[in-house]
Amino acid sequence: MIELSNVSKLFDQARAVDDISLTVATGELCVLVGTSGCGKSTTLRMINRLIAHSAGSIRIDGRDIEQIDPQQLRRGIGYAIQSTGLFPHWTVARNIAVVPRLLGWPAERVRQRVEELLQLLELAPAEFAGKYPRQLSGGQAQRVGVARALAGDPDILLMDEPFGALDPITRESLQNELLRIQQQVRKTIVFVTHDMDEALKLASRIVVMDKGRIVQQDSPQALLAKPANAFVENLLGGQERGLKQAGLLRVDSLMQALARPTSAVTGPRIKATDSLRQALSLMLWHRCSSLPVVDDQGRQVGVLQLDALMSRPQ
Amino acid sequence: MSQPALLRGGGWQPLLWLALLLAAALGLAELEGLFRLIEPDSRTVIYGRAAFIDLLGSHVLLVALAAGVSSLVGVGAAIMVTRRWGADFLPLVSQLASIGQTIPPVAVLALAVPALGFGSGPTLFALMLYGLLPILRNSLAGLRGIDPAVLEAARGMGMAPLQVLWQVELPLALTVILAGIRTSVTINIATAAIGSTIGARTLGDPVISGLVIGNTAFILQGAILIGLLAVAVDSLFEQLQRRAPGA
Amino acid sequence: MMVSLRGNRVIPVLALMALALLWSLDFVSVQPNRIAPGNGLGLLAAVGLPWALTLTAALLACALLALRPQQPAYWPILWLVSLLVLQLPLSLAWSIERHIGADMPYARVGIGAGYWSLLFLLGLLLIELQQRLRLARAWLLGSGIALALLLWWLAPQDWLEPLALLREYSSRRSQFAAALASHLGLVGGAVGLSLLLGGAIALLLQRYPGAQKGSIGLLSFIQTIPSLALFGLLIAPLSYLSAQFPWLQQLNIRGIGWAPALLALIAYSLLPIVRNTCVALAEVEAAVIESARGMGMSPTQVFLQVRLPLAMPLIIEGVRVTSIQAIGLTAVAALIGAGGFGTFIFQGLGQSAMDLIILGALPIIALALLADSLFSLLAERFYSGVGDDRAE
Repeated sequence: MIELSNVSKLFDQARAVDDISLTVATGELCVLVGTSGCGKSTTLRMINRLIAHSAGSIRIDGRDIEQIDPQQLRRGIGYAIQSTGLFPHWTVARNIAVVPRLLGWPAERVRQRVEELLQLLELAPAEFAGKYPRQLSGGQAQRVGVARALAGDPDILLMDEPFGALDPITRESLQNELLRIQQQVRKTIVFVTHDMDEALKLASRIVVMDKGRIVQQDSPQALLAKPANAFVENLLGGQERGLKQAGLLRVDSLMQALARPTSAVTGPRIKATDSLRQALSLMLWHRCSSLPVVDDQGRQVGVLQLDALMSRPQ
Repeated sequence: MSQPALLRGGGWQPLLWLALLLAAALGLAELEGLFRLIEPDSRTVIYGRAAFIDLLGSHVLLVALAAGVSSLVGVGAAIMVTRRWGADFLPLVSQLASIGQTIPPVAVLALAVPALGFGSGPTLFALMLYGLLPILRNSLAGLRGIDPAVLEAARGMGMAPLQVLWQVELPLALTVILAGIRTSVTINIATAAIGSTIGARTLGDPVISGLVIGNTAFILQGAILIGLLAVAVDSLFEQLQRRAPGA
Repeated sequence: MMVSLRGNRVIPVLALMALALLWSLDFVSVQPNRIAPGNGLGLLAAVGLPWALTLTAALLACALLALRPQQPAYWPILWLVSLLVLQLPLSLAWSIERHIGADMPYARVGIGAGYWSLLFLLGLLLIELQQRLRLARAWLLGSGIALALLLWWLAPQDWLEPLALLREYSSRRSQFAAALASHLGLVGGAVGLSLLLGGAIALLLQRYPGAQKGSIGLLSFIQTIPSLALFGLLIAPLSYLSAQFPWLQQLNIRGIGWAPALLALIAYSLLPIVRNTCVALAEVEAAVIESARGMGMSPTQVFLQVRLPLAMPLIIEGVRVTSIQAIGLTAVAALIGAGGFGTFIFQGLGQSAMDLIILGALPIIALALLADSLFSLLAERFYSGVGDDRAE
């Protein structure tokens, strides 16, 4: 658990972070979102003491971080950044091994851990362990960056726009990867981004920041339903809010289920696990007001009506 | 040329050094008393075989001639090999420019003697040959370092190849080319001084003759003048580079 | 201009230039003794018709092979050029055989301008081929050295003995060895000491960046001063000190000799080392340093494991520049009695003994080229990061 109470940061009298209080519960994926210069990266860096806070207190699992040696603190917190910061003179394996080696793990355990992480991030160990960072694509480098952050098996992971420099397709696959890994390893993650869609997709809680202050913190659904002010609304994409909200909900939350699955359907159909946004798009395309809903095997399990979407409570 | 404009941003520095240089060239001979302290036992303490100002003149002439020729040839060659029709020669010329600079200038100067004999001519030749390399190398770097998008834009707007060269490429490469000429001149001022040993008339004369007959006063006089010349010319280039467009 | 001639135009130009110079300039010259003026011999007179024609044919073949329309035949050309390089000493031996009889014990053969031109143009051809075939410089250098050694080992002891250059050498064997030792000693000492001193200065400048501009400015100022002037300026104060303190004289520190040379060399060497080290340390990507700190490395670990290894190629580049510069400056330092190969140059200039000048100049050039290749190779090695994985 990470607790920030009344934390401020002054750079030459300018308040980069202004009296924020924030609690990130264990196992939560908390996304700090805002425009550039809003203080979100500064907030992140104060948690591992790369930047010292000017006022207030930061506690991790109840311990004030100022009581912890900064290097010990950082070895226990995973850290991944946008430009990856991979060490260009070391191989992928050596890069991932940094924290375990700093922690003094025996060589064999380090080797196993590196292999395990390469597999977790779907980088074939035989192919990638010996490569140098400059031989990697942007997406691969970022996977290595994430693997490196996870290497010391930290309870907390700090990520500063880790997918910001990637193309949309690679970014989406890495976002899915992160969600999958989070399912498996359950870390406490603080994630910084300026991309609201990314925040909506990943977060269990979104913290919107502006001018060094927290404007609103809520679950993605609650944020979409009740933006606190025009700034948040604007950040959420204004007129596209309806679609974004529909993107967060699954088809099976609104469909009328059939008593028993029927055989395979042909023609336009939607999967139960897809989002309402995709369902809406399909209906628009096929100009129909209802869609059969199918499961993974392609059997029909329900029907989605446009009316149900329209009459859904806010 | 209004005075304030010239003097802005340290413009007085080259003037100061030049004034000091001229003062030393004209006035060192008057400081006999001072040099007598260094060489109390020698018969003469002021180098007398030629006036310092004459030596300075011929030193400057040698370096300036060499710099002029090497700049023309160096920039010209760089332009040629960066055109499409000369591109075949680019790898060789750029390798030659970088490998050639590895060779110490004094070795080139020495080898000029077996090839061409003693005197100012061979010295000039050695200076031109060696001085060519930094200019060539920098011109190549300057011309090739231009953002291809800029060249494409220039062509896209309908500039003819010569217009691209004059209006875009050379102005953009100018600072780098100037830096090359500066390196070349700095090296050549030093090499020309050593040229005394192969019979060129330069400010190295007092130093060499002082070394031969063991007269520290002569050595000092030559060294002071050579040093002042080098520093004055260098600060002149510093100003030039600062004033170049895009600096 | 529509004919697309894809062949290589550089090689024919070089080969034809070599041919023209070879036939128009003296190949060798024959002197009855050291003092008498030499008598120049053209290619034909020097090596005879068959040899001259073979040479001509080989050069023409290079030109023709390069003009092959589709793809120039670079490998056969490389073989031809290598053979041409190999025949260089043989053609000298052959000229000696033809022109120096047993009745001419003091006669010497000088290398002519045509021969030097051929050597130079063959060098250019090799560089061109190395570029086109993308051969590693080390590979070329290594095979060159191996060939030279092989030839030396195969050849009879005195086959090139009448060569003027070798006559000068054999009458100065011990001086040559001493010159090599003092040249390398001065260069090594100056570069080593400047590396220590310059490294320390660069580290201090990291800590006090405010002093950076001034220090680099001062070192650049020193670099501007011509070597002859700096050597000259050091003589007076060192003589004075040496006269005041007898223990300095016992250490052989005086106005001329190795002391002012070493001082000046260090003063010159500091700039490339300090500047490159500062730039190298500063240019390590901020994100890399931040992630090193973010993962909990101590400042010492960040410096030793990340910053320094990443800065290494540029630092080595500084050492390379410094070494080459010092090799040349040491030659000048011979003027103030510091020894080294410059001694031969200036002795030769004094006696108008051309071969003695060459005997001094060639090793200096060879040393500079060797230092250049060595440090370039070292820097490349560091850059790939090879062998760093298990090191520590």
